[in-house]
Amino acid sequence: MSASRLSGGCQCGAVRYAIAEPPRVVAICHCRMCQKATGSIVWPYFTVARSAFSMTRGALSHFRSSAMALRGFCSACGTPISFEADGEETLDLGIGTLDHPEPLVPTEQYWVSARMLWFGDMAGLPVAGLGDRLPADEVARRRPFQHPDHDTAAWPDGGAGG
Amino acid sequence: MSEIRITGGCQCGAVRYALLEQPDNPHICHCRMCQKAFGSFFAPLTGVPPESFKVTRGSLSTFRSSDPVERGFCRDCGTPLTIHTIGSNRISVSIGSLDEPEKIEPTRQYGIEGRLSWFGRLPSLPGDKTTEEESPDETARIAASNHQHPDHDTSEWPPPGMGA
Repeated sequence: MSASRLSGGCQCGAVRYAIAEPPRVVAICHCRMCQKATGSIVWPYFTVARSAFSMTRGALSHFRSSAMALRGFCSACGTPISFEADGEETLDLGIGTLDHPEPLVPTEQYWVSARMLWFGDMAGLPVAGLGDRLPADEVARRRPFQHPDHDTAAWPDGGAGG
Repeated sequence: MSEIRITGGCQCGAVRYALLEQPDNPHICHCRMCQKAFGSFFAPLTGVPPESFKVTRGSLSTFRSSDPVERGFCRDCGTPLTIHTIGSNRISVSIGSLDEPEKIEPTRQYGIEGRLSWFGRLPSLPGDKTTEEESPDETARIAASNHQHPDHDTSEWPPPGMGA
């Protein structure tokens, strides 16, 4: 029995995966390749053995971002999911794709030469838009078609569009 | 007379876009929808009116993440590119997909209910040495075979001879 099973997937739920061992590395990467692949300014990721990684629904699409590596994503909704260096026995996965990202606290940062000058200022920015205090009719109007943060027997559930 | 043109696109270069006016409200959004769409902790976004957003190569693929919202991405490499509330006078682009993201500094944060408790500790994580110093061989190997579209428009892409 595995106490350390992690699960995750893309936004739309067409791609789902499971991990059968604790992560070996939990980090953030500032490099321009990770930035552009994820449309963001930093990529939070964790590293696991390929032997501990399995797809539980659908399949990753891949882009060869350099001669040494593939990046996996969902071609139905775009979510960037993996970095897979050729010949490595491990692969990296985006922490944000986990159903429960909070327990995976990054402990290192890479490619600080590409770090945004204002990276350290973000946490102190003024706060706006408390999404959890929207009126009920607005919450209903915004009903997400995002896959829930747990495995599902069937998806879409019949109520979701797309 | 100088015309504003701020460019960006996906990692593989199949989709390129231009903003024809200075984008406003640069921000980061911590909500769980943005987290999962970006595979990250937050989404950095900035927006313009739809008439000032032009796709200059390829086309966006879209996922309707909720009834009012469409998210645009590249089907060939996955890069999250846009978010648009249907019928609104605004389309946001991901700051990381801009060719010069450093110039678009976020000024607010949204979706604070989804913010990870340790978000504020990220800047002080160990990692003061650059990757060029720590792994010069790997850095050179990536640089020599980088298949990412460059951070500017190109007349032809991919260039002849570059493998897919």
